[in-house]
Amino acid sequence: MSKRSRARSFPVQLVDLVLIELSNWRWCWRSLVVVGALVPLFGMVGLSIYARDLGPQALNTIYSGSLVMSLMLGNLGSIQSHVVFMRFQGTLDFFATLPIHRFTLLLAIIVAFFLISLPALLALLIIGSALLKVSLAPHPLLLLVIPLCVVPMSAVGALIGVNVESPQQGNSLSILTTFLFAGLGPVLFPAERLPEILRLIGEINPAARAASALRQTLIGPLDEQIMLDLAIVIGFTLCVLFLVGKKLDWRARHRL
Amino acid sequence: MIVYDVGSLGKSYPGQAVPANNNISFQVREGEIFGILGENGAGKTTLVKQMVNLLAPSSGSIQLYGKSIKHDSLHVPFIVGYMPQESLALNNLTAGEALYFSAHLRGHSRREALDERDRLLDRWQLYDLRDRHSSQMSGGQRRLLRLAVAVAGASKVLVLDEPTNNLDPQKRRMVWDNLRQLNQEHGTTILFITHDAIEAEKIIERVGILHRGELVVAGAPHALKQNLKNKLRLEIAFEPGQAPLLRADLTLRRLTRTRWQIYLEQHQLGDVMAALDIDRLTDIKLNSATLEDLYFHYVEAV
Repeated sequence: MSKRSRARSFPVQLVDLVLIELSNWRWCWRSLVVVGALVPLFGMVGLSIYARDLGPQALNTIYSGSLVMSLMLGNLGSIQSHVVFMRFQGTLDFFATLPIHRFTLLLAIIVAFFLISLPALLALLIIGSALLKVSLAPHPLLLLVIPLCVVPMSAVGALIGVNVESPQQGNSLSILTTFLFAGLGPVLFPAERLPEILRLIGEINPAARAASALRQTLIGPLDEQIMLDLAIVIGFTLCVLFLVGKKLDWRARHRL
Repeated sequence: MIVYDVGSLGKSYPGQAVPANNNISFQVREGEIFGILGENGAGKTTLVKQMVNLLAPSSGSIQLYGKSIKHDSLHVPFIVGYMPQESLALNNLTAGEALYFSAHLRGHSRREALDERDRLLDRWQLYDLRDRHSSQMSGGQRRLLRLAVAVAGASKVLVLDEPTNNLDPQKRRMVWDNLRQLNQEHGTTILFITHDAIEAEKIIERVGILHRGELVVAGAPHALKQNLKNKLRLEIAFEPGQAPLLRADLTLRRLTRTRWQIYLEQHQLGDVMAALDIDRLTDIKLNSATLEDLYFHYVEAV
């Protein structure tokens, strides 16, 4: 028996922690898939009836917006409740006593929930395109855009999770945030159908930017706006992750 | 070598008039087994949470192997294995997975972690539960798993918050035996909290008694017992309706309808035995003072 723990490298820590998270959720991933796919699917079908006469551009917006909704439901809400659970049930304390870094744990949670949300996203992607008759022209950049769409939602979920005072408060806030993200800007509705104020807010709404990036890389055409979309998404994510790291109850904060 | 050096430690929670820990100072030496005794709410868990860096002290200092724990957040996790009193961590992992991941994250290679997992499953009598999730285990089984998880990875120091609560007598004995073995074979320094003063006495080398947030006394039990006025405890039982007649200067404490207890000095023993009506006795027990007696002595003196 060796007498001194050695720090595992970042990739080893990350893989272990992702596996722990996936193992923890292996019993209920099906319900996450159902919630992540069915709710946006029903929304997509309902909105497509309303937007049938508005042309293919509107259907494309509904389609990409629903994909972003799926990512929000599968990641924002789940990560929020997971972080709250960890805080209130002592799980975070357990991880804090292991020789790991808090950002590795945060990243592992985000990666695990992203992997869990993928089946719902894929199901929605295939069924949605068939239902709305959206012709897909995936660009290789899509492989980067999908994870980048997930991270800001996950980070917001974590931010709510580290700040709320009870699980009930966390659930209410994450539902409210999901609707605000979906409603403030051209996420589910085409920009030209929105009032000026919502269009302006949409410029900095990461969900609207994520939907725009998804639309361009999944349906096309890809233009220079993608760079601004990704820059806003990444900038927003970094800010939120910084706040999460500052607030996370992780080991003692000495003020002596 | 000093493992833990706790100096003038204080912890106050917002909105609470009385501090949870007040001016606590003590040391834990390398390779020793240190027990912390105290009533509910004495501040024991607050104390160990500060020692494993989960809570920041309001005042005072904690050094681990000569280095303050506040400057390097990984200093404690590298050295200390901690078992919390209650936790749902790794609840949906099987016992085998929880042990493997804990050992691997604490620095064992994949192969070593698998070996460590098997060794711990065996040593802590969890082998039959290796594929069962923690959430499907009884309270006692979960406690054993938490203990094994704290031990996984061969930490130099173990900090255990009530390791034998909810365990049956057989399992409690197994826990004390395993901890003693870890200490003897690997020199592991062990600090634990317990309510179970009598059983803990089997392995404790030094003890600290905590009362209302303050450390009343710390030292080796045999040395502390020298300060007790009456070091022997005599328990006698008579048939119902009969009472012992003893000297007036001895205080009798009635335990049950038929059973009494007397604390006395060694030199008083002969006189007391001579005064007892041996024919009427149904039971007699003579013990030296226990950790429990020590605890009551110091707490009642406060």
